[in-house]
Amino acid sequence: MLSTILEQTVNGIVTGSVYAIVAVGMTMIFGVLRAINFAHGEYYMLGTFGAWFSIDYLGLSYEASIIVGVLATIAVAYVVGQLVMRRMVGAPAESGVLATLGIALILQNTIILVFGGGYKFFAGGYIEPVSILGFSLAQQRILILVVCLLVFIGLELMVSYTRLGMAMRAVSQNVECCSVVGIDVPQVVLRTFMLGAALAALSGVLTAPVNVSVYGGMGELITFKTLPIIIMGGLGNVRGTFVAAMILGVAESLVATYVGLQFRDTVGFATLILMLMWRPHGLFSTQARF
Amino acid sequence: MSLTETAQQARRRDLRIPLAAVLIVLALAAPFIGSRYITHSLIIALIFMLPAHGLNLLVGYTGLLSLAQAAFFGIGAYTAGLLAVTYGTPFYVNLLAAGAVSGALALPLGIPALRLRSTSFVMCTLGFVIIGQAIAKNWISLTRGDMGLSSIPKPYFELGPLSFTVSGTTNFYYLALIIGTLATFAVWAIVRSPAGRNMVAIRENETLAESLGVPTWHYKLIVFMISAVFAGVGGCLYAYYLTVVSPLTFQMYYSTTMLIIVLGGGAGMISGTVFGSLLFVGLTEALRITPELRMIAYGVCLLVLVFWFKKGCAPLINRFWNAIGGVK
Repeated sequence: MLSTILEQTVNGIVTGSVYAIVAVGMTMIFGVLRAINFAHGEYYMLGTFGAWFSIDYLGLSYEASIIVGVLATIAVAYVVGQLVMRRMVGAPAESGVLATLGIALILQNTIILVFGGGYKFFAGGYIEPVSILGFSLAQQRILILVVCLLVFIGLELMVSYTRLGMAMRAVSQNVECCSVVGIDVPQVVLRTFMLGAALAALSGVLTAPVNVSVYGGMGELITFKTLPIIIMGGLGNVRGTFVAAMILGVAESLVATYVGLQFRDTVGFATLILMLMWRPHGLFSTQARF
Repeated sequence: MSLTETAQQARRRDLRIPLAAVLIVLALAAPFIGSRYITHSLIIALIFMLPAHGLNLLVGYTGLLSLAQAAFFGIGAYTAGLLAVTYGTPFYVNLLAAGAVSGALALPLGIPALRLRSTSFVMCTLGFVIIGQAIAKNWISLTRGDMGLSSIPKPYFELGPLSFTVSGTTNFYYLALIIGTLATFAVWAIVRSPAGRNMVAIRENETLAESLGVPTWHYKLIVFMISAVFAGVGGCLYAYYLTVVSPLTFQMYYSTTMLIIVLGGGAGMISGTVFGSLLFVGLTEALRITPELRMIAYGVCLLVLVFWFKKGCAPLINRFWNAIGGVK
């Protein structure tokens, strides 16, 4: 009984790590753009498809496919960022919702058009189980945990010490002042957006061996999982996102075991609605930020 | 305005009344002019117009961007479908029940959601759609899960000894037209009333409206419920038209479509919603070559809408209406 709970908690933390990497990109994009990116799951999907393509068609190794998947997504994100996201600085909330929904439709259906809508088998990754402290855990899951920790440490350092990180923080505080002091706001938005998309793609490639199957519509579910996380974490809050993702991952895993697998996908929004009744501004925010 | 200008205007003919007459005749005669397929598209347009009217009250007049319309659309569809299949109640009972159940459920959902602002409100309303779909899929004893409800009977009316069954596309078109027209007048009445002006006040500046004594919280909650009633009625019609209800009725696609209709037609304008529903249903029907290409084109349309038609078609409609009326 207790070991089941522990095992499910560990699984939940791994799932939470996956969500955290995706969600942190989305929350940073929200920070600079004040817009929810409804197409965020699509970059997760693109990364996975890039990796699947490079393994299945180009015969590359899994390690190389990670790089191909992430780079391909960055290229797509650059085009989308130049054409669409840059123009959304200072646009009203409806524009952000509609434009990113449009991008999600275009990306998702282009992939379905090119590769077909069926499920594809993802052959790659480290699936051998390892035994740690009496638990057996797949190598891939340990890799996900390690990468998640590295990503968050890296982001913390970047946001605090690099030029782009400081510019991002400045833009998320006040767009007008940044323009006045000469920060190229659209450029910051574009770079943040590409970074966020790259993180989503990385998360996708890391999870693909665990999920095994790859299909064109997989991004939508990820978007819907990410939205409650970034709101619970406090929009634009990197550390809050990490904690919220872990909470959601563990909650989903426990609900799937003890309530029923079919309710797993609703845990996020149900938790979100309950939490918003109690703390309308997110778990970690002391004041209204949005 | 100078005297000469007024005189010039007087000389120009006001074409608005003839145009309205032509439109009414066209609307009434549509099933006999166009093919069966066009009638079908018009029915879909009229059905989607109902939740869009509700959404327009929320987005266009009160300034609350909601994605929950698909949830209430689905609730209405399931209410009507379950009543029709299980109890065989007449159409008008189911129609009223669908509206009433959607409206009633909007109260407990609206109370937590409306405490939130902008982005969080959007997310919360999106959550209703996701949760609604999960309930429809998993409450199998009631909703039959993924199989959905099938063979919903044709709409029939029963008043004492009189009974009438709506059979065939043409008859259904007139049913949808009547309900659509009534709904449009209902929205018109709401918007023209003092309540409508208070709604606009909330949209423009909620704090100011509150300080002027408008009970903003009650207004927002009631508008949320009214919009759900419209969506429920639309869902009922949709269920009767397709004769099936499945968990797919709770789909983001419907919320997106309704948002496109409202924003594309022109938020805060009744004629905009009417025009928008015709335009966008026509567009999606015209793009029915392959489902993928259709959705890609749909996405491109969204981007065009956001970047080139920020106010939707409303300015175009207004300009046209004023031009034929002789007003500069």
